[in-house]
Amino acid sequence: MSPDRSTLLLADDDPTIADSLAPFLERAGFHVLVVSDGVNALEKAQSHHPELIILDVLMPRMDGRETLRRLRKAKIWTPTILLTQVGEASERALALEEGADDYLNKPFDPHELLARIRAVLRRVRPGERSLSAAWLLTAHDLSLDRRARRATLGGETVELTPKALAVLEYLMTHPDEAVTRERLLEAVWGWEYPAGTRTVDTRMAELRRALDDDPADPRFIETIPGEGYRFIASVHGEG
Amino acid sequence: MLKKSWINLLLIFLPLIAGVVELILINTFAQALPPFMVTADFGVFAFVFGMTIRNLGIVAFMMGLFITGLLLIFYNRALRRQAETQTLIEAANLEAEQGRRRFLRRLDHEIKNPLTGLRAALVNMQEVQTGADRQRAVDNANHAVERLTRLLTDLRKLSDLGERPIELWQVDVPDLLQDVVDAAHVLPAYKGREVNLLIPKVPSPFPMITGDRDLLVLAVYNLVENALKFTCETDSVEIRVNEDGRAILIEVADSGVGIPPEDVSKIFEELYRGSNARSTEGSGLGLALVYRIIALHDGQITVRSSQEEPRGTVFTIRLPVNKKKITLRPSS
Repeated sequence: MSPDRSTLLLADDDPTIADSLAPFLERAGFHVLVVSDGVNALEKAQSHHPELIILDVLMPRMDGRETLRRLRKAKIWTPTILLTQVGEASERALALEEGADDYLNKPFDPHELLARIRAVLRRVRPGERSLSAAWLLTAHDLSLDRRARRATLGGETVELTPKALAVLEYLMTHPDEAVTRERLLEAVWGWEYPAGTRTVDTRMAELRRALDDDPADPRFIETIPGEGYRFIASVHGEG
Repeated sequence: MLKKSWINLLLIFLPLIAGVVELILINTFAQALPPFMVTADFGVFAFVFGMTIRNLGIVAFMMGLFITGLLLIFYNRALRRQAETQTLIEAANLEAEQGRRRFLRRLDHEIKNPLTGLRAALVNMQEVQTGADRQRAVDNANHAVERLTRLLTDLRKLSDLGERPIELWQVDVPDLLQDVVDAAHVLPAYKGREVNLLIPKVPSPFPMITGDRDLLVLAVYNLVENALKFTCETDSVEIRVNEDGRAILIEVADSGVGIPPEDVSKIFEELYRGSNARSTEGSGLGLALVYRIIALHDGQITVRSSQEEPRGTVFTIRLPVNKKKITLRPSS
């Protein structure tokens, strides 16, 4: 494991989780600060400038969402991963809306958290506002209005099922990142499905048809054989 | 509505009381008044009759008596209906309470086993000396955690299904069933087996249904997984689809040992394990999920099973053909 001495701020009120995750992340080469509520997380985020914040959603004094909202309001763009307690679809959508860079459903494999941390750190440039906090995403002539839940291509509305739209949203907020089908399932569907990979492929086919994107010569979504998908166009965020 | 019964009774007896009061007043004060004539002319025929004021008092009394009698009958009926509704509500509450207790009891059982395994594995991890024994303990702990995770995931699916709206979309059923068969290939129980998929060639194209494709895949997959799990290599598993113009019928059939008759009515209950399913791994929520998904699609699911020749189990899903309004068109 590479010894990147990045500082992580881990906020979780459950000592069994914090006490087990912190040493695991330390062994992976990170310096870990542990807090047990949102108020402390907010203070530590401002005083210690960690490279990444891991926030549990349900916490005493201030929950993870409120903490994240306040961080973003204070123009602190430190990349953040939300640990959600329940896998409700609304909560996943909210995690994106509030500018979380990624999120994981509890219970998760600690290796999955490590993979997420590394991916987010690779993607986000320090101090810069990440795409996850932008309301309008554009790539070539494709634009996605996340608040209105509408995508347009060359100015014309693209008709998409809610799931296909959520897939597009996830890919556009994670550009140039190899996103596995399992990751998409967890992020967009919230559950693991038995016919999981096919479920994702069906939506991807719908998305490509709607975006008029040729899988053999893609402008937007590239297939990585045996791995998943990658959004290859450069994405610009606004608002 | 019927709570303030003394007010109700007063209102019911009001016409009778009014009649009696009028009778008394007339008898006391208007006895000496002369008789009068009442005429009613309807053009073709007419009534003419004479009466005394005293007669009028009796008429008022009789009217009051009649109205009060009618009101009493209605009131009595309403009371009886209310009592019946109350009994039904109480029975439903009792059933819900019993269901909740049954669920908690079963949940306790489902959690207890993997947790016991996990505790034993942790003790072994601390106490064993050799690397091989330690690895075995780690494997057992992981297995227990996987079981708990699966249980939790299925519980979450069940609660999610009740809360979020399902996606309504045109679903090509033969295509969906092909996906289920392909996905089932990865199951350990599929090894050396074949799932026959029978799709009629006519009508073509096969009628579409409206629903959430992912959820429907999950439902049929759960049935196929069960069929493979509870049968052996020499048994056959078959998925058949048909239509009768109004609905699409999906059948998942197997030639396995069948479900004991006493279990058939309970298998869709949450965490219920039939007598021949106790030793088989699973969350005990698979069929409950199937039931919930089909109900969300306005469909029905039934099961018939026989443990005697010709033995086997057939689950039948009935889904209405394009009954619901489509909110979006698939892009092409």
